[in-house]
Amino acid sequence: MQLAINIAVLAAIYALIACGYVLIYRVSRVLNLAHGELMMLSAYLLLTTASLFSKNPLIALTAAVFLSLCVGVLVYLFLMRRMTGEMVLAAVLTTVALGVLLRGLVVLIWSAQQQNPAQALGWANYSIPVFGAGRISAAGAALIAVTTLIYAGLFLFLRFSRYGIRMRAAGQNPLLAAQRGISLHVIYALAWGLSTFTGAMAGILISLDSGLDSTMVLIGLKAFPAALVGGLDSLVGALLGALIIAAAEVLMIYYVDALLSDVVPFLVLILMLIVRPWGLFGTREELDRV
Amino acid sequence: MLKRNLIATAVLAGLTGATAAQDAYNVGLTGALTGPAAGTYAPAVDGLRIYIDKVNAAGGVNGKKINLILLDDSAQPARAAANATRLVTDDKVVLLLNASLSSTYAPVVGESQKANVPLIFASSVCPKDVYPPANALQFCTTAFAANYDSRAVLDFVKATAKAPVKLGLAAMAIPISRGEIDYAEELAKTLGMTPVSKQIIPPPTPDYTPFATLIKEADANWTYSWAPWVTQVRTLEGLRRLGWTGDYIAWSHLEAENELARLKDGKFYVVGANALFQDDLPIHKEIAAAAKAANSQYPVNQMTEGWIAGMVIEAALKAAGWPANAEKVTASLSNLKVDLKGLRGGELQWTKDNHFRTRQYYRVYRWDEAKGAIVRVRDWAAFDVK
Amino acid sequence: MSSREPRASGYFRSSYDQGLRLIETRTQWTSLIAFLLALGAFPFLATSFQLDLACQVFLAVIGSIALMLLTGYAGQVSLGHAGLIAAGAFTAGILFKEFGAKFWITIPAAAAMGALIGLIFGLPSLRLRGLYLAVSTLALHFIVIYLGGEYETKRGFSTGIVIDAPRIGDLVLRDRKIWYFVLLAFAAVTLLISLNLLRSRTGRAWAAIRSHETIAEALGIGVAGHKLLAFVISSSMTAVAGALFSYYRGFVSVEAFSLFLSIQYVAMIIIGGMGSLLGAILGAIFVTLLPYVIEYAVGLLPNARSYAGMLAAFNYSAFGIVMILFLVFEPQGLVGIWRRVQNYFLLWPFKQKPLGGGRR
Repeated sequence: MQLAINIAVLAAIYALIACGYVLIYRVSRVLNLAHGELMMLSAYLLLTTASLFSKNPLIALTAAVFLSLCVGVLVYLFLMRRMTGEMVLAAVLTTVALGVLLRGLVVLIWSAQQQNPAQALGWANYSIPVFGAGRISAAGAALIAVTTLIYAGLFLFLRFSRYGIRMRAAGQNPLLAAQRGISLHVIYALAWGLSTFTGAMAGILISLDSGLDSTMVLIGLKAFPAALVGGLDSLVGALLGALIIAAAEVLMIYYVDALLSDVVPFLVLILMLIVRPWGLFGTREELDRV
Repeated sequence: MLKRNLIATAVLAGLTGATAAQDAYNVGLTGALTGPAAGTYAPAVDGLRIYIDKVNAAGGVNGKKINLILLDDSAQPARAAANATRLVTDDKVVLLLNASLSSTYAPVVGESQKANVPLIFASSVCPKDVYPPANALQFCTTAFAANYDSRAVLDFVKATAKAPVKLGLAAMAIPISRGEIDYAEELAKTLGMTPVSKQIIPPPTPDYTPFATLIKEADANWTYSWAPWVTQVRTLEGLRRLGWTGDYIAWSHLEAENELARLKDGKFYVVGANALFQDDLPIHKEIAAAAKAANSQYPVNQMTEGWIAGMVIEAALKAAGWPANAEKVTASLSNLKVDLKGLRGGELQWTKDNHFRTRQYYRVYRWDEAKGAIVRVRDWAAFDVK
Repeated sequence: MSSREPRASGYFRSSYDQGLRLIETRTQWTSLIAFLLALGAFPFLATSFQLDLACQVFLAVIGSIALMLLTGYAGQVSLGHAGLIAAGAFTAGILFKEFGAKFWITIPAAAAMGALIGLIFGLPSLRLRGLYLAVSTLALHFIVIYLGGEYETKRGFSTGIVIDAPRIGDLVLRDRKIWYFVLLAFAAVTLLISLNLLRSRTGRAWAAIRSHETIAEALGIGVAGHKLLAFVISSSMTAVAGALFSYYRGFVSVEAFSLFLSIQYVAMIIIGGMGSLLGAILGAIFVTLLPYVIEYAVGLLPNARSYAGMLAAFNYSAFGIVMILFLVFEPQGLVGIWRRVQNYFLLWPFKQKPLGGGRR
């Protein structure tokens, strides 16, 4: 039972992070390698808002998430917008550079010390028994709930709302979409905002569960195989990919060697790249045409 | 091409503009002042800086100032190597200090041996070379020490535990921590305890619960962790979240004092060689006042390591006289006795072949719910170092 | 550096042999000799710290040229460069520790290991493009680091493997001045190999593959073979750089090869300028020296010591900003700037270069 819960929590973490990769990739074919750093930035923002609104943790939380959304939009407007139309690789490298910059800034502003946002908010991390046989932390439960909500929300948004449909259109064929009067810049900015929003939720919940320092970036990176295994442009894929990677990792810890758990996501990834590079649910990239 | 070369030389020439102060003791440190590992080292180094500034303000040593050069290596071996080279050859330091991850030791030790400059490990874990028979050039002021720590911990566990001990062990997946936990596992067996589960946890783990689950399911009633603070405390939190109620014992790193107060866990023991600030000794007040005056950004109660290193440096330079060179400093370090004024269980003494300390003292603390404060569980227990 | 067009205005070639020469005009000869003299004189004028920096630059140059061949010329993206450097360093370190092998065995062995890994990790490139390929090389990095870490722990070298300085007869390679020339020689040889490779059939095939794989294939270029060749050559050069690093520093440990190192190498070729060997060299110099320049600049600030604790953060931020600035505003990199300046003087008093002909 505990095993299942552990897998579920880890899968929720990976899924929540992975959908950030997917959102941006699906819409603009850019891989955002600064996602881990943006996630970390959001968690640090929570630290600041928590000290600003020390009486009201909910306001602090909302403010941090809202700020993160703005950061995402701003990143697009001031940085990534210049990279549209450039080589895809140049755009990816720009996100790498952004990540490096953010890592530096975070240390400059908040220092490299281990932090505890949960304490700053005055929250304790309760432990909840599940079905008598296992236990889950409050933050862990929140992670699963938030991941479910966000995925449900994203499905509805992309399927039924006007902007969701536009986003899908822009992802499918930017040129046609632009010709039909869809403002690509607005759509891309929206994608970036949404992506950092989901990343912020992940970063904040992880930091509430187990504290915050600069190693969070690596968690962001570890979730990346999940997105890729599922297919970089598919939300369902991200969900399933996260489940596969999380299960592989936890089972490895349980039955084989914990040390391998660090490498396993990347082994699964290589396997996937060899067998089916576009992932489980991803669309196959177009063939070359001369 | 010519132009490129000109620019390059201009840049290079500019870099060494810093002239070494001739009329002072040059002491150089390479440390993880920033980067992921900095949390454990930067506060200690800041403590050292404040101590040296204080000494200088009071007239220095033997009438000369100490010129402390701090270089950051972000715990990257390549940077540490470059730093050490620079300190030894350009700044002509008489004493090298290392305050960084163990991965930086090899290059820094290499430089120190090459140039015959003594090297003190301050706030970074003591390498084997400082234990008797010690390497002539390596010294260590740091509180934590492989093997002796586990001995002290298991000694305490044995004395405290009422039921037969089923021991869970947790290490971080870095060589130094794994080595110590392996040692503890063997030692526990000889002490009549049963090691039931040993977890080696990779550093960037999003969720510690799977590891905690394994310890809990192995039915451990004591768990011991000797790792960087993050791993120690997150494993504990993971265990508590699962409803595990056993006793947990870990090394008392710099962060311990604040963290004990945060966790408020009555069954969480920390073993350490430094007196915590809640003991409120006169020396603690002195450190607090100096840190406040210097406007330090780090918590005062994390500066003990730096303060001790400062005391040792001051004493060594005093004995070396003026003008000092690396040989004289090495000689005075090899025969040194420093009164730590209660920061540790006794004085720090180095001899010709013992550069760790002749006697190591351990204290155990925990949080007391009833008193709402940290309490001493066991006072200084001495272990002879041979 | 190897422009196949004549350097100055006008055409001077009067025989086919001249087309093969690397150095054509008298000005080039003079500046090359002056440059070599300056390089030769440098160690006798510089302090030990400056020498150390120069050695670091040479090591970086070897690595960045190798990456430039792969990414800048053959168009195959790699984010696993640090993994390859680590592989080279560990090959040297393990052979030394386990078998006491000498450097004339370990360095070729590192090259062979690099070639082998290059071959294995070139295989995905036959199926994958761009991003996906970059990701698979990222995985390579994690696997190499894991294996290296396991070796270190299992054999009890927890603070890294210490390697003795190489020895030729009675001569122990410890003095920085000697190292300077050794590394300079390695860097120069790497440069020459690359220059000649790029002028040959292989180099042209790579350029074609980078421009358009399908067309390259239609032109009769063996795409798969040439891609693999690019990986093999680049990886073995990189591995040699890793082995040299381990000897130069006297140690090997996994922590020295973080993912950030890969990013630094990618930054070198971006900042230097994609598709140019001169760019690789300039980029290596720039990225290697940047942190030291920043350190020096911070040292000039009043109350410098209180910033000491923030240096790495400054470095990170500055590095990120510089990389972004180059990507956004100067995609041609330092070489682009250099060429503009050169053109300005070459064309003066005119502003535009003639259409057709002339230099790109």
